Amino acid sequence: MRSFCIGKRLSRTILNYAPPLAAAPPSPLELVDLAFTRSALAELVLLAVAGGLLSGWIVLRRLAFFTHAAGTATFPGLVVAEAAGASPRLAALAVAGGYAGAVGHRPRRTGEGGDTTVALLLVVALAAGVVLAGDVFSSGAGVDSLLFGTLIGVEGGDLVVSSVVAALAVAATVLLGPVWAAAGFDPEAAQAAGVPVRRADLCLLALIAATVVAALPAVGALLVTSLLVVPAAAARLLCDRLSPLLAGAVAFALVQGVAGLYLALWLDVPPGPAVAAVGGLVFAAVACVHRPGRAA
Amino acid sequence: MSETVVEADGLGAAYGGPPALSGVSFSLKPGQTLCVLGPNGGGKTTLFRVLAGDLEAQTGTARVDGRPAHLPQAERPRLDFPVSAFDVALMGSLAHGRWWLPPRGHERAAARRALKRVGLEASEHDRFGSLSGGQRQRVLLARALVQDARVLLLDEPLAGVDPASAERITALFAELRAEGRAVLVSTHDVDSARGFDRVLCLNRRQVAFGAPAETLGSDVLEATYGAEIVMLDDGRRAVTVQHHAPGEFHPPAAGRAAPGAPPDHR
Repeated sequence: MRSFCIGKRLSRTILNYAPPLAAAPPSPLELVDLAFTRSALAELVLLAVAGGLLSGWIVLRRLAFFTHAAGTATFPGLVVAEAAGASPRLAALAVAGGYAGAVGHRPRRTGEGGDTTVALLLVVALAAGVVLAGDVFSSGAGVDSLLFGTLIGVEGGDLVVSSVVAALAVAATVLLGPVWAAAGFDPEAAQAAGVPVRRADLCLLALIAATVVAALPAVGALLVTSLLVVPAAAARLLCDRLSPLLAGAVAFALVQGVAGLYLALWLDVPPGPAVAAVGGLVFAAVACVHRPGRAA
Repeated sequence: MSETVVEADGLGAAYGGPPALSGVSFSLKPGQTLCVLGPNGGGKTTLFRVLAGDLEAQTGTARVDGRPAHLPQAERPRLDFPVSAFDVALMGSLAHGRWWLPPRGHERAAARRALKRVGLEASEHDRFGSLSGGQRQRVLLARALVQDARVLLLDEPLAGVDPASAERITALFAELRAEGRAVLVSTHDVDSARGFDRVLCLNRRQVAFGAPAETLGSDVLEATYGAEIVMLDDGRRAVTVQHHAPGEFHPPAAGRAAPGAPPDHR
């Protein structure tokens, strides 16, 4: 009986999208003709640069879990800021920055303990956010947008923040990229050579935290990894050199952003989840055509 | 008294528990080579990590002239990292203190020269992880050459290396010595230790230090390796062997050799 109900609900969901799918797709030019999609498109392009570049370092430095946790950790902060009338961006920056600082300063060689701590933080942050939103501040209506973003509603301030993090990501990749690579490849030798591994890693964590905050209006606290992990995960399957991997990650981020926004416009679905879903599909497609052994 | 480039005095270190190493005292002059002998868990890697500045000394002092070039054990660098042999050699230029700027032309040229010197100029575009174990060691040596350090710390550079690479690496030791660099090499191979200027025997403490001919007697080797040493040819040769029953061996924890773990067969 239960499987019948799920099947019925699933078919109803598919039928909901049938009319838009049956209709002629909108012109891609609508993405630039309409003011709100133009802002969303600009936001996605800027986040593709920042997120694409950083996703390369996140994947190579095995920071995907950290990035997901940094996004989720901002959730209770955003709820409190919304209820208190404070700047959600500053609240998110304080939480994500504090989290990055704590991770950066934790004792080295914590082994699996580090992952366990991050997993605990994820659970606590989500639970605290839901409790605060539902029972303390009664602001449940905004929870969806905090968790999954409101890309169509991005404003000038959001674009300025994304521009800044995009510029920082480019500059940091040029200046600190060799150090991040050396520290990821062989941390002990880099440390012995006098490379400031710890400070460079702190810069990377701080930049990831800032980019997470910049991506919150677009994809929300739960979907930041769609822009900050998925692009490089796909590029990693095809590229066995650093520079092509970073360029490929930016390209994949652009493709999933633009295609996701277009699909959201066509199917009338939330753009943030659409961008994330396209990212997942792109990764799956690349993984299917990728022949093992062609790249690292 | 001529200058020393490496000096340890009563050195001891630990990983938050009981001492992994204690009572180490030795010094090296420019152009001297030192072989560090000992069983797995004997403190060889710990000593190198202290000298490299990666681990703080618990007791005593350690002094190294300049930044040493540290070649960790072959399995430490990540083989899945998307870097070529040339990229790895070029990483040595980060030690020159201008790490925030892109590498300059002469640093790129130095990386190519170093790869040529270790016989891998034809493999500079190959991905590091796709090279053989011996070739990877030679690439890491090239990185150390680019670093241009006065002191080189080579942690088991000949372990699992093919004979051609081993020959090339051993020849490089002599070249580095001739250039006035101090080369510290850890190994299990007692026979190869006789070709070094000095030998330091460790078994969680310093057992002996001195010229190989005077130091590598059966008593010192037995104190270093315990029951894991077998003397051959009336004491002129020695090999280390494992003495453990199936199931006795506990793999070393990440980043550290397990105390008491058996050495490799040699």
